[in-house]
Amino acid sequence: MEVRTCLIVDDSRIIRKVARRIVEGLGFEVDEAADGAEALTYCAGLMPDVVLLDWNMPVMDGMVFLKRLREQPGGDQPKVLFCTIETAPERIAEALGAGADDYVMKPFDGEILQSKLSEVGAV
Amino acid sequence: MTQDDFDRLQGLLASRAGFRLGRDRIHLAEHRLAPVARREGFDSVDALLQALWVKPVASLGWAVIESMLNPETWFRRDRPVFDTFATELLPAISRVRPGGRVQIWSAGCSTGQEAYSLALGALSAGVTADIVATDLSQRAIDKARSGLFSAFEIQRGLSARTMLDWFQPAEDAWVAQPRLKDAVRFARHNLLDAPTDGTRFDVIVCRNVLSEMEPAQRGRVVDHLERRLMDDGVLILGSEERIEGDTMAFRAVRGRKGLYVKAPSALSRAA
Repeated sequence: MEVRTCLIVDDSRIIRKVARRIVEGLGFEVDEAADGAEALTYCAGLMPDVVLLDWNMPVMDGMVFLKRLREQPGGDQPKVLFCTIETAPERIAEALGAGADDYVMKPFDGEILQSKLSEVGAV
Repeated sequence: MTQDDFDRLQGLLASRAGFRLGRDRIHLAEHRLAPVARREGFDSVDALLQALWVKPVASLGWAVIESMLNPETWFRRDRPVFDTFATELLPAISRVRPGGRVQIWSAGCSTGQEAYSLALGALSAGVTADIVATDLSQRAIDKARSGLFSAFEIQRGLSARTMLDWFQPAEDAWVAQPRLKDAVRFARHNLLDAPTDGTRFDVIVCRNVLSEMEPAQRGRVVDHLERRLMDDGVLILGSEERIEGDTMAFRAVRGRKGLYVKAPSALSRAA
């Protein structure tokens, strides 16, 4: 069976750890990046199937990463889910408009993540 | 809780609501009754139950029964069913109904996510649907009617796009927009009660309810559902639920988990 990969992009080590546990439980192989720049470097080598993306991060935030990702060859392939404390409708709309496939509002749990991943066809 | 109390609780739930409480659920029962005891001003679950057995006040009895029901639900639970509903069932039924109007009943709707999911399906399919949603629990109905969902509840089963299109923020929660709220009429109803009028539905959605019921009561409920369903209507159960053991009135739709239509024998019986 094909292995599905997920890149978790968040400047919080704790969030990355919590999300990793959930996503690995769903059968994904997981890698991590602490900011958008690290994530872009990773994607240049290997496009993940799914990206869980925080918004506010140092060095490069989630929005800039997303726009740069979608410009890459093959950058339209990964399913990108924002995963952030930003909950204002305008921000959510902005994220979807910029090319995110869905949006998870923190705090989240395994059921929400599974539901959202199913929503974008990743599980 | 003593075993005797638990036995009486099982009996109450089975006789008044038709629901089954497994023997292994004594700790769950205590856990669910603790808030009821607090709300009703009792020092403990034991005190609550003793008061109830001594003087069976209806409102207290129902508060106890309602707390034992399994309220778990989420938006578009088992998505393929809702896709089938919106893209196949609704348009097909609408084509053969006066004015294209489809009557839907969400039987056992809990806190409303199923009913709102059906409404979203109808709205997206452009089909005019009258949706009635009922549950035994008044608390669940009140919440459903409010259209208010926590950030956890709103994200389970809905895409962010759907959430933005049909709900709006309300402090820490999200509330259904008026055009979605207006699409569903909520009411309290006990499935054990026989129909008292001739209202019939084109689609009855009764998911993950029958499997929680006492076998002895299930047949009765299925009979009530049959009487409430149009002859060419569809009954939708939970994807893993079966009613073949409870009735001859329905037959499964081949290849469609949880979908049932009236058996030919049931139609000729009604003629």
